[in-house]
Amino acid sequence: MIRLIPFLFILATVTPAPAADIAVALTNERIAVDTGFSGAKLTLFGAVEGIATPRETVDIISVIQGPATEFKIRKLEKNKLIWTPGKARIINEAPGLYLTTSTRPIGDIAPLPDQAAYRLGADFLGVTVEDHIGDDITGSVFANAFLSEAEDAGLYHDQVGGIEFKKGALFAINVDLPANTPVGEYTAAVYLYQDGVLLGRDSAALIVNKVGIERQIYDLAHERPVSYGLLCVVLSLFAGWAAALAFRK
Amino acid sequence: MQIYLPIAEIPVDPFVVIFMGAAVGFLSGMFGVGGGFLMTPLLIFYGIPPAVAVGTEASQIVASSVSGVLAHLKRKTVDFLMGGFLVAGGGLGAVVGIKIFRYFRALGQIETFISITYVVFLGAIGALMMVESLRALLRSPDAPRPKRKHRSAEWMAAMPFAMRFRRSQLYISPIPPIILGFFVGVLAAIMGVGGGFIMVPAMLYILNMPTNVVIGTSLFQIIFVTAIATVLHAAANQTVDIILALLLLTGGVIGAQIGARAGRRLKGEQLRALLALIVLGVCARLLFGLVTPPASPFIVEVVS
Repeated sequence: MIRLIPFLFILATVTPAPAADIAVALTNERIAVDTGFSGAKLTLFGAVEGIATPRETVDIISVIQGPATEFKIRKLEKNKLIWTPGKARIINEAPGLYLTTSTRPIGDIAPLPDQAAYRLGADFLGVTVEDHIGDDITGSVFANAFLSEAEDAGLYHDQVGGIEFKKGALFAINVDLPANTPVGEYTAAVYLYQDGVLLGRDSAALIVNKVGIERQIYDLAHERPVSYGLLCVVLSLFAGWAAALAFRK
Repeated sequence: MQIYLPIAEIPVDPFVVIFMGAAVGFLSGMFGVGGGFLMTPLLIFYGIPPAVAVGTEASQIVASSVSGVLAHLKRKTVDFLMGGFLVAGGGLGAVVGIKIFRYFRALGQIETFISITYVVFLGAIGALMMVESLRALLRSPDAPRPKRKHRSAEWMAAMPFAMRFRRSQLYISPIPPIILGFFVGVLAAIMGVGGGFIMVPAMLYILNMPTNVVIGTSLFQIIFVTAIATVLHAAANQTVDIILALLLLTGGVIGAQIGARAGRRLKGEQLRALLALIVLGVCARLLFGLVTPPASPFIVEVVS
């Protein structure tokens, strides 16, 4: 490392300082999922530096993704008369939620190598199926099916538009988190492009967690399941008794 | 308005759920049935994961059976001794039922398994009820009704440990009630039902119990068996959603009161024919779901 420093120093002086860059911040770094949760609006605020009139000349892509999740996928097969799920296949880690927002379709903004390198768009996530990695038809069938199911569920979504340029260098990106947003850790990344060239990028962290009574019920049910079961029975007994009292003639 | 269900982990409209509870409550008040066998499929149609529908329904039945049994306790139409043996068998049955449930859940076939179980039982019970009620409707009013036999069947009299069941005016071995309780307990755990639709006819025609103690004793046993099933589902599968159960209850209580009043205007045979139609309808809907090609051939789940 010490030997590298002079070299890096030279590199930094030789390469012209980047003329433009982008910075981003979140209005909410914590999203609370409570009993009334039916989705949330998330706003990313940011600034474009070093460009006079960003509104007309630059493109921005934002990618919100998280939490890394393992999925199972099954295909329904006709079994004599009825449809039954076939063998479960494991999807090697994929984000539970993956939302992109861009000023124009991503393919028009970023060159293919960039799309692959920065995983811009669900097709570049590199979703693979356990035991079917590589040039395998089954693997690609199930990986593609997974992507389209995730899209149908509203968990993977590409949105064009929704990026507002404010005064001068400032911009805001509005993203709708769906009601089925999984809890966990997320990153929100932004990429600044001009004429197909990446000028800068930045990212911020985001946490989605369950709060309130909803959280308490979930925790109790999973951490002390027997107590929770007994509590459910006691509540039901009480509710039944109360109902009988209320309607007694 | 939406409420996020903590265990089912999906948002639902609370008013729709309360209304569903009320609709099934209306039917159960009208026909004097528990309604679990209608509620569980309805929850599945609405999009609640089948495993959660079954677990949650068990806890809701505890509540509706408690409010039903209180009147019977007052009228002294509960045979506690008989109920005790039914519960003993039922508790064991629930444990076995949960094991079967977990086995199919691990295989990933629990949804199909629940649907097939429902189709078989709803189809059989619905058809029997339909035939029986149509016969009764067609029978002339003067024809003598079949009477209760005063002697139990020979095979039952041959069983050991016979004892006196005072309220039921029976002198039989406790083995048949234990076996019956066991069988219903298995169904309660797998299907999220109280099992009254099996228990009541079996008590009448197999155990030969008098009509007046059948409903009260059946409710008594259902409370315990569904309570055991609730705890087992919560402990083994984490599939009891208390918020969902309370919403269903709220609607169910109100619906049952209205239904009971509406039921008094109809004759018993007409009621049973109507109930048979509803049961067959739900059965047909489930069967349709099993045999028609799915909208999407893939199912994605999170590995927890």
